[in-house]
Amino acid sequence: MSCLPYFLYFKIIFLVILSRASCELLPCCASVLLPLFSHFSFVPLTPRILSLTPDFSTFTLTLKWSDNGSAFPYGLDASWEIEILRKETMEDVTRESYNSKLTHEDIIHSWNWKSDMPLECTSHYVRIRHYINITQFDGHKDWSDWSPVEPSGSGLFPQDTVVAVGSNVTFCCVHEEGRQVQRMSYGAKDYPLIRLSSRSSAIRVLNANASDASGTNIVCRMSENGMDGTVLFVGYGPDVPEDLSCETSNFVIIKCTWKPGRASGLYGVRGTKYSLIESISGKNVSCEVNEMKKERICGFPVLADQKTYSFVLGVSNPIGQTEASLLVDLNQRVNPETPEKLTVSGNSSTSVRLHWFINGSFAEIRLLCQIEISSGHSEQKLHNVSMPGGKFSTYTAQLNALHPYTKYRFRVRCSAADHFWRWSDWSGTEEHTTLEAPPARGPDIWRERSPSGKSLRIFWKVDRKLKMSVWSLMDFFVVFVADNVKTDRAVAMGNGIYISWNSYPNMTCGYIVKWCHSSGSEPCSVDWQKFPSNTTDAVIKSALFRPGVRYNFSLYGCKSSGYQLLKNITGYTKELPPKRAPNFTVEETSSDSILVKWEDMPIEDCQGFLEGYRLSFAKGEKDALKPRLLESGNPELKVKNITDLTKKSLKILDLQGKTSYQLDLQAYTAGGLSPPNSLYVVTKEDSVGLIIAILIPVAVVVLLGVVASIFCYRKREWIKETFYPEIPNPENSKALQFQKNICEGNKSLKTLEMNPCTPNSVEVVETQSAAPKIEDTEMMSSKTDTIVPEDGSDSETENHVVVSYCPPIIEEEISNPPMDEPVGLSQVVYIDIQSMYQPQIKPEEESEIDLVTTAGYKPQMQLPVSALKIESRSPAEEESDKTAGYRPQANTNAWNMDTPDSPGSVESNNENASFGSPCSINSRQFLLPPKDDEDSPKPSNTGWSFTHFFQNKPND
Amino acid sequence: MAAADTPSATLRHHDLCSRGIRLARKMRSDVSDLLDIYVERQGLDASISVAAVDGVPAAAAERWAEQTGTQRLLDNLAAYRAFRTLLAQMLEEQREQLGDADAELGPALAAVLLQVSAFAYHLEELLELESRGAPTEEGSEPPAPPRLSLFEQKLRGLGVLRELAQWAVRSVRDLRQLAKHGPGSGMALGLLESQ
Repeated sequence: MSCLPYFLYFKIIFLVILSRASCELLPCCASVLLPLFSHFSFVPLTPRILSLTPDFSTFTLTLKWSDNGSAFPYGLDASWEIEILRKETMEDVTRESYNSKLTHEDIIHSWNWKSDMPLECTSHYVRIRHYINITQFDGHKDWSDWSPVEPSGSGLFPQDTVVAVGSNVTFCCVHEEGRQVQRMSYGAKDYPLIRLSSRSSAIRVLNANASDASGTNIVCRMSENGMDGTVLFVGYGPDVPEDLSCETSNFVIIKCTWKPGRASGLYGVRGTKYSLIESISGKNVSCEVNEMKKERICGFPVLADQKTYSFVLGVSNPIGQTEASLLVDLNQRVNPETPEKLTVSGNSSTSVRLHWFINGSFAEIRLLCQIEISSGHSEQKLHNVSMPGGKFSTYTAQLNALHPYTKYRFRVRCSAADHFWRWSDWSGTEEHTTLEAPPARGPDIWRERSPSGKSLRIFWKVDRKLKMSVWSLMDFFVVFVADNVKTDRAVAMGNGIYISWNSYPNMTCGYIVKWCHSSGSEPCSVDWQKFPSNTTDAVIKSALFRPGVRYNFSLYGCKSSGYQLLKNITGYTKELPPKRAPNFTVEETSSDSILVKWEDMPIEDCQGFLEGYRLSFAKGEKDALKPRLLESGNPELKVKNITDLTKKSLKILDLQGKTSYQLDLQAYTAGGLSPPNSLYVVTKEDSVGLIIAILIPVAVVVLLGVVASIFCYRKREWIKETFYPEIPNPENSKALQFQKNICEGNKSLKTLEMNPCTPNSVEVVETQSAAPKIEDTEMMSSKTDTIVPEDGSDSETENHVVVSYCPPIIEEEISNPPMDEPVGLSQVVYIDIQSMYQPQIKPEEESEIDLVTTAGYKPQMQLPVSALKIESRSPAEEESDKTAGYRPQANTNAWNMDTPDSPGSVESNNENASFGSPCSINSRQFLLPPKDDEDSPKPSNTGWSFTHFFQNKPND
Repeated sequence: MAAADTPSATLRHHDLCSRGIRLARKMRSDVSDLLDIYVERQGLDASISVAAVDGVPAAAAERWAEQTGTQRLLDNLAAYRAFRTLLAQMLEEQREQLGDADAELGPALAAVLLQVSAFAYHLEELLELESRGAPTEEGSEPPAPPRLSLFEQKLRGLGVLRELAQWAVRSVRDLRQLAKHGPGSGMALGLLESQ
């Protein structure tokens, strides 16, 4: 444009101003001028808005204006620019373009704009301008005047709207001038206010969640208790229907069903609406559905002469819409109504006629109906019958081959015969009993002649359907019984009994197995079973068979001349152990044998085929407390198995004389052992042996007596000289030698020996030497040597008493002595009696000796030495002593109290204190001090031991 | 008034009052439960204050003690007739808005509506016994309410139920007064009591 001369520019303006009216006056001008100026733009006229219409429900403004057309024959490209502002803030909401073609016609254009907030929230202003050939014109373009949209009224907007889940929604509260919005809430939550104008505030809710059925309340609270509110429904658009299916049950209505898919969350007037449109006929129906049911149903009328239907199910709600389609051939989608009014008629014993009604018009198809026949005796049977359909007709079917005099139950269902789709529901059940008919055969009978041959017993199997009469039975009933009919055993098989027999060629009309059920005292009830002539085995079963009961079967062969007993068979369905053992008695006993005899057992008690007896015996007294012989696991138990059933006695040999034996007898079958029968038998004494055992020693003694008498008589002078001299020699008396030393080498005096025989001497040593003897180490620790007595008595003056005796065997290991314990208080030294004569040990080695000597025994309690030194003890200390595990059997204080000023030193006190039980190695104290010691100034007499006793005994 | 003076009429009057009191108490209890359900299902704040709703009769009376028995019955009857209409309207709106979705609020509303109808009938019987006769409903039919927004409907429903609860209490007191003083007490019952 810059290269264009100004005059040309003005000329263009002029031309445009001339516009269409000018060209109408000069029809040739356009054709002349346009080619000339086709490369130039025109100055646009200022547009004029014809109308600006708000749609408050959709927040939409509709702008309409006229383009005034063009004078040129060629269309000019026109671009329209539209600007929208909001009041007060004068916010430039949007500026959008709209393109059109200017033609010769004056066209009214319309343009819609959707606001992101309700139009009621604030005023909106719209203006418009346009260009022609915008790319080549940058001149002045005039805007139209502002066109306003001024909402009136107040309230909370938008009112009662529906949006999709996840939408962003702006709510504005428009109020009167002078009021103030205090807060606005969406549901239970307050949102920050956005001030739109002096009388309008807003909140913006982002990503709205699905609302409740009654919607989400938005409340605007204003000053002066003002309040406004609205309800927003947030839900989902309709889901595409699933499993759309249409069928007819009567050719009157087509029933379409579908599943709605995801719930919209919108209910009532906002709920999902369904409409069924048939596109071939163009008809549609609105569907009333229950929103709470999973499956929706809608009906569409069957149209005359139309077999194919193209259904479109339209689904819509305020948020959106969708659809599903289905093309069906109605004849292939027949699910007939349930047959009703079923009746059964018939005057035959084997056939009936069924009638039923189906409420539908099936004239153009064939029906396939299924009749279910059931009776008490047999399984259900289904009978299919195909028949032409009718219009609301009654259908009939005949059933043959029924059993006479039988109660049947019938029901019917139907479907389309040519294109099966679905069965209808079953009709109600109808019962019918067929008529009676003559019996096809006679009853199954058996006859038994009495042994005398004068009477005949007739048995027959009851057929409840037959009425029976006994006519003449004097026909050829002959039973041949052979002389040597053998009896076999049958084998149990499952819950029956297996019987087999050889084939008898002359038995032309089969076999009969007859048996008898016996229950207690009632007479045996006969039963039988017939088998064809080619049968050679059978399993006889009966509900009356019981395990452990013997059944006798008779096999009869049938031939033209009568029945012949072929063999007898016995058997059990299951063998059980015998109920009891046979009764048995001891017939004879000797010193080494017992003869027992037993009785036969009745068959009822056997409960199986008896296979033998089991005799168990072992030594045993009759003692109810002892376990039973068979349960005791006695190693001497001996068992004898008797398999020879004819044997009824048994002699038990190799028994001991005068011994009690327990005998148990049991019977056994394949089912097991019976409970035992027990007897106790004492064998007789062996008299010969006893006599010999007495006589031989008596004879020997007599003989020895005689020999001794003879010897003594002959040597009487020597005996007198040796044993009874006139002057006795003491040295020859060995009986007095034990007084010297009972333990030194004289092993013959066993009665005085202690075990183990340790030096059984008592040594009492009184010494004035300060050097401790080896014996002292047993009673004193190194610490005790250092203790200075309070009374100033010297250890040299003390008397040591060592008393030893044969100690009991001590195996207890010493535990670690408490080394931190003050030795002077509690140390007690024990001596091994056998180490009495140890070499003297140096004082500095005494601690080691203590350890050595204390090994091997642990006292039950160590008495505190201090307690012996201090007369008055604190109660606490006494208590602590009481609580100790062991206490001496005498009061050690009392012992010292008796000799408080005795020459005995602390060590001597220690000796006393260390005595415990008389059984203990350190029991060196008198438990009961001798009375003569009480006043004795010498503590050396306080010792006590067995050896002491022995030594003192002669003094006594 | 002759009928009202007979012993049998007195007995019947007393019986009707007793039954009416029981009905009103039950109604009060059910309305209280319904209010809870209503507030919860409508998503309302239980403490929200609702201004007087057009067409909803107020239970508060300026000079309650000075009212005669007949006047009390007439006031009660007018109120419960109005409630019957309002509750029916609420029930219809409820069905329209919620469809089959709400299985609790709708039946509860219907139950209270039934009780209100029964109580209104009961009041009519009492008025008959007073030889006064119940006024026809045509005159007392409230004008059709303007179309309200959903939020306004919710608030109005809340107002109706709250006022109904108040009326149930007042009805108990009114019927107690009536029962005390027997049929045909033309004077103000409160004044009679004070004498």
